[in-house]
Amino acid sequence: MDYPKRYGVIVIGGGHAGCEAALASARMGVETLLLTHNIETLGQMSCNPAIGGIGKSHLVKEIDALGGVMARATDKAGIQYRVLNSRKGPAVRATRAQADRILYKAAVRHTLENQTCLDIFQQSADDLIMEGEKAQGVITNMGVRFHSDTVVITAGTFLGGLIHIGMESHSGGRAGDPPSIALARRLREMPFRVDRLKTGTPPRIDARSVDFSKMEEQPGDNITPVMSFWGNGDDQPEQISCYITHTNEKTHDIIRAGLDRSPMYTGVIEGIGPRYCPSIEDKIHRFADKTSHQIFVEPEGLTTHELYPNGISTSLPFDVQLDLVHSMVGLENAHITRPGYAIEYDYFNPQDLRYSLETKFVEGLYFAGQINGTTGYEEAGAQGLLAGLNAALRSQEKEAWTPRRDEAYLGVLVDDLISMGTREPYRMFTSRAEYRLILREDNADIRLTAKGRELGLINDTLWQKFSEKTEAIEKETQRMKNTWVQPGSEIAKKLNKHVERPLAREYSLMELMRRPELDFKKIAEVTGENDVTDVVAEQVEIAAKYEGYISRQLDDIEKLKRNESMKLPTDIDYGKIKGLSNEVKQKLVECKPETLGQASRIQGVTPAAVSLLLISLKKHRGARPLVTELK
Amino acid sequence: MNDVLHSTDTIAAQATPAGRGGVGIIRISGKKSSDIALQLIQQQKTFKPRFAHFHQFLDSNQEVIDEGLILFFPGPNSFTGEDVIELQGHGGPVVINSLLNRVLNLGARMANPGEFSERAFLNDKLDLAQAEAIADLIDSSSEQAARCAIRSLNGAFSDHINVLVEQVINLRLYVEAAIDFPEEEIDFLADGKVAGDLQSIIDQLDAVFKEANRGVLLKEGMKVVLAGRPNAGKSSLLNALAGRDTAIVTDIAGTTRDLLREHIHIDGMPLHIIDTAGLRESPDAIEKEGIRRAWTEIKEADRVLLLVDAADVQEGDINTLWPEFFAELPDLSKVIVVRNKIDKTDETHGVSEPCLSNTVNDPNDDFSTTSSTEFPTIRLSAKHGEGVDELREYLKNVMGYQSAMEGGFTARQRHLEALKQAKFYLVVGQTQLIENGAGELLAEDLRMSQNNLSEITGEFTPDDLLGRIFSSFCIGK
Repeated sequence: MDYPKRYGVIVIGGGHAGCEAALASARMGVETLLLTHNIETLGQMSCNPAIGGIGKSHLVKEIDALGGVMARATDKAGIQYRVLNSRKGPAVRATRAQADRILYKAAVRHTLENQTCLDIFQQSADDLIMEGEKAQGVITNMGVRFHSDTVVITAGTFLGGLIHIGMESHSGGRAGDPPSIALARRLREMPFRVDRLKTGTPPRIDARSVDFSKMEEQPGDNITPVMSFWGNGDDQPEQISCYITHTNEKTHDIIRAGLDRSPMYTGVIEGIGPRYCPSIEDKIHRFADKTSHQIFVEPEGLTTHELYPNGISTSLPFDVQLDLVHSMVGLENAHITRPGYAIEYDYFNPQDLRYSLETKFVEGLYFAGQINGTTGYEEAGAQGLLAGLNAALRSQEKEAWTPRRDEAYLGVLVDDLISMGTREPYRMFTSRAEYRLILREDNADIRLTAKGRELGLINDTLWQKFSEKTEAIEKETQRMKNTWVQPGSEIAKKLNKHVERPLAREYSLMELMRRPELDFKKIAEVTGENDVTDVVAEQVEIAAKYEGYISRQLDDIEKLKRNESMKLPTDIDYGKIKGLSNEVKQKLVECKPETLGQASRIQGVTPAAVSLLLISLKKHRGARPLVTELK
Repeated sequence: MNDVLHSTDTIAAQATPAGRGGVGIIRISGKKSSDIALQLIQQQKTFKPRFAHFHQFLDSNQEVIDEGLILFFPGPNSFTGEDVIELQGHGGPVVINSLLNRVLNLGARMANPGEFSERAFLNDKLDLAQAEAIADLIDSSSEQAARCAIRSLNGAFSDHINVLVEQVINLRLYVEAAIDFPEEEIDFLADGKVAGDLQSIIDQLDAVFKEANRGVLLKEGMKVVLAGRPNAGKSSLLNALAGRDTAIVTDIAGTTRDLLREHIHIDGMPLHIIDTAGLRESPDAIEKEGIRRAWTEIKEADRVLLLVDAADVQEGDINTLWPEFFAELPDLSKVIVVRNKIDKTDETHGVSEPCLSNTVNDPNDDFSTTSSTEFPTIRLSAKHGEGVDELREYLKNVMGYQSAMEGGFTARQRHLEALKQAKFYLVVGQTQLIENGAGELLAEDLRMSQNNLSEITGEFTPDDLLGRIFSSFCIGK
């Protein structure tokens, strides 16, 4: 049957990408349908029970700055918070929270169910409704035809999913869930470049069978931070600890003896796994001289005994899993509640996507999450939000939007994916961002919320709160810049006690804050003036401390903008551009970059090649202006 | 559009051919050009457009580098369409070098190959019909620059740089791993290792910089190689061109055992002429080594003078022209055939250009079907001097064409600039680490430093870095 209501956006999949996509589109006022094969698993954390971490928390905060759900759900579910790199400077600080799976899922579902313009329907999606080269809806398993302007696919590991435990394998999207075979087959008929990736998960353990007294306790931070810009910590549940144990020589011997039944080492698994999140068999094999590895024992929630032993992801046979777990201190008598496994799944070469995450071959079809070769809830959620908002923009007949590399980690993520593709599951790291000092987790709202408001993603309440914060920062910055300290004054004498070189001339408070020995707090103590919140103080202080570096990066960004704003026509014939080497031509044809800037970031494309492109572009455009100024 | 383009850097480069011309011109283009000129003369004034202003050019210690003319062409009525300053000084390489260095220190950036023309084109100063020509210029000059870069990276210099780059990468490995994987028990920022390594790299960079500045390790100028069978008269020709007896000239085959380098000037343009040992199978170890080096030189050369004995080799008969030699040569367009000893054959001295109908581009082609007329051919007698002037003139023409592009001089300048910048960031990063304990700022400075070194050694992406981290440390929960 044809479903009577027509949607602006249909999102397939209710994981982290799908939920953010559906919510973003609905927040923008576009009628949205979320299709999931199981409403009970909406917002499920399939792997480790944690949100955030280096690079990842940056993405969570960006989702949050654009009104997304991930950070707020985390604050309702976070049972242990830590700030990583807290001693290394604000740009690389990252919040990580252990989350109670059940609370997290409930918070996401609550948000979905209370979102206006959003319908949820439980049924697996089997096919797309196509009109020429355009996606115009979805056909479900029982034949219901939902019509829409756009479709966002966030299929996770469900497309052609194959689960391995030892030499046994079976089809599955996740332990306990069926894979999406029909949809996978349908997508494979389209001209996308498909390949296989692999990821894995450790066996889960029953806490009642664990001796915690033999392990090192890892408590959360004293002052529990919050993940969301909009929260204040009131929602947070009870805080508990994680524990640390280690593998040992005996563990490694057990694993080595089991390698002949490892699907990884016997060639059964063809997909490529992540190098930064290797299975335990991989770690032992590749770093043979390391006699011990850290294992973080993480609680899965307040109301469950299940534990997540982070660091022993494995696809070894169950008997080997049991032996290796028992070889570790504290886990001698551990009971495994669910075996670890590896899963292989289809992903589509993200070079076939535009910046908006719309596919180049099918208009109105968007991909987000693991289907694009990424890994991680945060990476998925960020793409979901972007795909959802762009699908909504298309439905509203508005121009697409994607942040640039200097505006957000989300921009880095998308640009990396669509320009370079990926051979292994892509995870965010701060070292991927050349503008790391600007792209901090503390200023994600300052970078993105105004844009979010313009797109319709930020409601009045959040906007009000954000405006108050930015006004306070501006006011305090002006005060610090305009308050002068004279040498010899009372305040100068007090400050001289803190600094190496005494004040020899008149300084503004802002200048003084640049000195390594001084910070906002010390200056406030000396001057006796401090009527701003910690959040505001932090922003003013970072601006002072990073000033030189930030202005250098801003200069670089100015130069970058020329190339970013220069669009390359899709029908450009690279073969005809004189002077380009065959290697460069081939890379450009493979990637079909959207802008000159993107072209310049493809590996092997030289500055000379960029010049040649620029000149050929100018030649074709004739007297028409080359650059359309970015708004 | 112009606003956007104008917001880019101010660039500078030597506009006159490298070498010893009478006048050396440095061209500066971009917003900051007149500011740079004012700082260079340490005066406050307004340059009258398109007038010659005579000034002393001063270095940072108020010492005179040179004196000469300053011309100011305000945009858009200039070559590039931007504000352009031309500094006309004396043409010697040392003076020009110091002047350019000073300009770069005052805030200009070294221009990329063809960048002035590129800007001119983008600012509508050149008409569309010229697009192809500009594209060609960028293409060929960057190729030339790349070749120069490879050449100036010969031997010792390149070894030093590679070691340095490797050490910077290693340092970044530790710093970035400590930042991106704080839970992995690899916090190298805290344990003093990074600080020690950093100091050692800065010291080494200083040493390389000093050597490079003395010109010990880098070569400049166009490279012409003389190659030929034993006793074809290579040494005699070298002597005839250089005007001095630098090579031993005898009638015994295999006399010249090592490379002989001669740095000569043709009307102020530098030329390296390298005489190679006779390229033939030899049991003699020293001679073998000479042959190996000769091949290296031939492959890096801008022009290869293939010398044949006119009495032994029939004109146009490629078979006698050494097929093994052509098979090994990467680029046949560089070959000039020189028929020596025409005093024995009664040929007329002079130059003949290749016969185009017979041009063969595919090096895999069967040479037996082609003729030597595909190469420019010069007939001369090194012994008596007939035709030597024509050869000299021919090379000069070749150089004149090339001089619009990057020379070895510019390549070297670019490398030194890159080294200087690399060191600057290392020192800043060191301060950040030691005084502020700011690992993330050190990381940023290391990144910038490596970006500069990459201009010499090639691209190194964040993904490359992550790959190195994963293969060096056991990462991952």
